[in-house]
Amino acid sequence: MVVGIRIHGRGGQGAVTASRLLATAAYYDGKFSQAIPMYGTERRGAPVTAYVRVDDVRVRERELVHTPEIVMVLDPLLSTRQTMADDMAEGGLLLLNAAYPPEEVKTGGNIRVATVNATNIALETLRRPITNTAILGAFAKAVGWPKLESIEKAIRKQFSGRIADMNVEAIKRSYDECSEVIPAPVKIAGESEAIAVGGYGVLKDVSSWRVFQPVIDMDKCTGCKNCWIYCPETAIKWTDENKPEIEWRKCKGCGICVNECPVGAIEFKRVEIKNE
Amino acid sequence: MTGNKAAATAVKLARVEVLSAFPVTPQTTITQYLSEFAANGEIKGEFVNAEGELSTQVIVQAASRAGARTFVCTSGPGQLYMHHPMHSTSSSRLPVVMATVHRGNKSMQPDHTDLMSQTWTGWIQLYCENNQEILDTHLMAYKIAEDKRVRLPVAIGYDGYVLSYTAEPVEVPSQKSVDDWLPPYEYQSILPKDYDPATGGRGFGGGGRDPQQGWITHHEALLNALPVIKEINEDFGKVFGRKYGNGLTETYKTEGAEAVMVAMGSLAGTARAAIDNLQADGKPIGLIKLKCYQPFAVEDFKEYGKKFKAIGMIDRNVCLGHGGAGYRLIRNSLYDMDERPKVLQFHAGLAGKEVRVGDFERVGEKILKAAKGDKVSQVEWV
Repeated sequence: MVVGIRIHGRGGQGAVTASRLLATAAYYDGKFSQAIPMYGTERRGAPVTAYVRVDDVRVRERELVHTPEIVMVLDPLLSTRQTMADDMAEGGLLLLNAAYPPEEVKTGGNIRVATVNATNIALETLRRPITNTAILGAFAKAVGWPKLESIEKAIRKQFSGRIADMNVEAIKRSYDECSEVIPAPVKIAGESEAIAVGGYGVLKDVSSWRVFQPVIDMDKCTGCKNCWIYCPETAIKWTDENKPEIEWRKCKGCGICVNECPVGAIEFKRVEIKNE
Repeated sequence: MTGNKAAATAVKLARVEVLSAFPVTPQTTITQYLSEFAANGEIKGEFVNAEGELSTQVIVQAASRAGARTFVCTSGPGQLYMHHPMHSTSSSRLPVVMATVHRGNKSMQPDHTDLMSQTWTGWIQLYCENNQEILDTHLMAYKIAEDKRVRLPVAIGYDGYVLSYTAEPVEVPSQKSVDDWLPPYEYQSILPKDYDPATGGRGFGGGGRDPQQGWITHHEALLNALPVIKEINEDFGKVFGRKYGNGLTETYKTEGAEAVMVAMGSLAGTARAAIDNLQADGKPIGLIKLKCYQPFAVEDFKEYGKKFKAIGMIDRNVCLGHGGAGYRLIRNSLYDMDERPKVLQFHAGLAGKEVRVGDFERVGEKILKAAKGDKVSQVEWV
């Protein structure tokens, strides 16, 4: 039986790599598979989609996966959106990167849900919020395949040395920390809404990209304007009091200002994702 | 592995000596893999960086003339930029092998217009359905191009994104088995001295003889390549256990079929799935995959014309103001028959428009209607 999988993430979280690791692991399990990335004008931070098809026979069709049996979301903010469950097969499984248990998932429909805090696992094992491997272990647990050893083998084929070790640790932790799979608590699907992904000029809104955000201690700030010079997104305005002010719409949470501040007046704090 | 990795792997297995490429989406990762292979010694050959596609073609042309086995690859706009030296590569009868990772000329997404617009340069053109076929076709291409009966450059086309970046299982033959099957290339001019640029001849039909002779020789060379391509495909099948129809066209579930659809490249994979569904519903329709577009397998289509009541050609291209390239060639092949089948034209997947299994099921039903004698529209954009 063919199984279609859709993977949502952001440029930089490794959705395409996740699709390839999953397809390779399924192949090691003795299945045929196909990993299809969707390329457009992707860049770091913008939402991206990838697809995987797993079957008992060689996959020949070249269309995208239109009614996925499984949807996996690598980004905690995207995880709060109803859009992720669009067009899912009846009774399909929605695996979310979220800091809360599946009972609190608001995404609705005749589907099943499971959660894992992949961002935490990634930050602790890889020291950066690349959540692809930190959710794949949970996939194996929630779905029942591919074998954890197959994912490890796929990772060791793709990466080597310390990087491979860290990613293998991530899948193992993710396997252990995956929640139970439960029927979605919300039965009726809410309205699907688009998410601001960037754009240019006045439409520019990259606020959804942030995992960390700068917090400025105005008492420490000397008004040297280093942050204002280095900000790549011109997200820092200058006030009449000779102090910086962040335009949150433009701030993508890159942390350059934190790095450049000569007096250490800017702290980099984890953004909390509210599940509303 | 991805389609681009399959192409790069085949180039490595073929022990290519001079490579040149300029990165262009969606070909970029071939260039990346090949530079890696050259840097870490997996490829002993020379990787030449160039400032553009025109130069890459000139570089491999010169290297091929000097006796090296060569490879060049490109996509869409890069293909158009290297158009001019492509003529002299083929006119000089140099066995250059090129991968064209399709990218249309009206968007970044794939259609076959990039390579098909090079038809008049007189290269052999082979199209691939999946990543395994990409690897295998590259190996066959060297054998075809370097065969003394052919000595023509070969272009291998496969759909960008759809194959270039999609990962799927590919069986990689051992280096030894490839070495045994594909001997090293030795330059030996097959042109008469007067025409051979390597000996100071004028090449391209000069030298005081019939000025048309260059075109005549080149055209005949392409037509003479047809049986050689078939033969090498058979031989590849014997050694590696995989072959692609007769090397020019392939039939899929055509036994007992009243009509067929004809597809090229990755669309053939989706079409196979559609044919399975249609036949499961008792609809007598099969598939013909067109692998070798240039030279064109006229004799094959004459046979198909006798067997089937309707043929629907699915072109991932349009020759503006003329129609689909495959469609025109098929109709042309059938003209001399006393009883001709209906031939319908479908354009599908241009500029990367997604083609779904359901689309081809609909196409199949329409072709069957035509086979029954019902009136249907001649041309359709799927």
